Amino acid sequence: MNDCQGLGDCDDSRLQRLYEYLDGALPAHDVAEIRAHLETCSECLEEHNLECMIRSAMKRSCHEQAPDKLKVSILDKIHALRAEA
Amino acid sequence: MLVLDRATLAPTVDWSAMTSAQPREPETDLDDPIVADDIARAGDPRASDDGAAAGGPGETADERRARFERDAMQYVDQLYSAAMRMARNPADAEDLVQEAYAKAFAAFHQYRPGTNLKAWLYRILTNTYINLYRKRQREPQQAGTDTVEDWQLARAESHTSTGLRSAEAEALDRLPDSDVKEALASIPEEFRLAVYFADVEGFAYKEISEIMSTPIGTVMSRLHRGRKMLRDRLADYAAERGFAGARAVAAQNSAPNATQHTAQTTAQEKER
Repeated sequence: MNDCQGLGDCDDSRLQRLYEYLDGALPAHDVAEIRAHLETCSECLEEHNLECMIRSAMKRSCHEQAPDKLKVSILDKIHALRAEA
Repeated sequence: MLVLDRATLAPTVDWSAMTSAQPREPETDLDDPIVADDIARAGDPRASDDGAAAGGPGETADERRARFERDAMQYVDQLYSAAMRMARNPADAEDLVQEAYAKAFAAFHQYRPGTNLKAWLYRILTNTYINLYRKRQREPQQAGTDTVEDWQLARAESHTSTGLRSAEAEALDRLPDSDVKEALASIPEEFRLAVYFADVEGFAYKEISEIMSTPIGTVMSRLHRGRKMLRDRLADYAAERGFAGARAVAAQNSAPNATQHTAQTTAQEKER
């Protein structure tokens, strides 16, 4: 799918490199190197953008609001535990 | 339904039931239902003691409760969202969160002010899930679940490309939230949670390794495989919705290599 070897010599290692980059797990030097590569390689940039889109879709979709009754019951429980102590 | 009575809180059993976790240090506080030593390690040990105003020896019980409510309650929506990824239904998620907060409050004197409170709470939530919910709810289904998970892992692994093709990427924006949640819910638990902690909550590898009580190498391996599985499932949902370029590979998927792939995966995880 992607013949570029700038970030690794196979899909797996390229993806792994991109994951570490997006996860903030790489030292500054590597980050600069990957940024420079992404500016020139449209295939890797596409892969990068896809991963960003997946993450934003998950952030968008997985946000839940705790029910009010849960908040109340937690506080009740804490007060009860405090009273026991 | 989880039992929330404090008396039922058994001494903690960790992820070693399902993974090859690191050897544990001896438990130091056997009076507490939560392994104190374990929980405390989720924070940064370099933090200084801020004195009575923030958890020092002069703090009264009421002051501690007020501090807990002020500092810990702000994460309730996030913990509930994470609990929904764990339990996958609102009733159990609520029970998990309530139980986790009760445990956290009981152990709050061990939390070091200035360290990562959010990671500390997530660790307690995760342990609560493993100890109570997972043990009670899922063990009877273990054999059947494994088969499904083996197949799923093998399937994602067998795709040489990244599952979700770039041409389909725009479909992501159009996928309903329920599809994305179901796609995530369908991948095996240890992968699902690692991906959730990293991609939604933004925890660093080291924090995830502390939350899940696994080595960093295992976290990275789970993230890599879990993200591939997620792409694979998202591509299915996009195809089912009839979005751009329904994947041709869907028809090619089959399960014959499941056992082989999983054995390989386990071996690779152990190497790390």
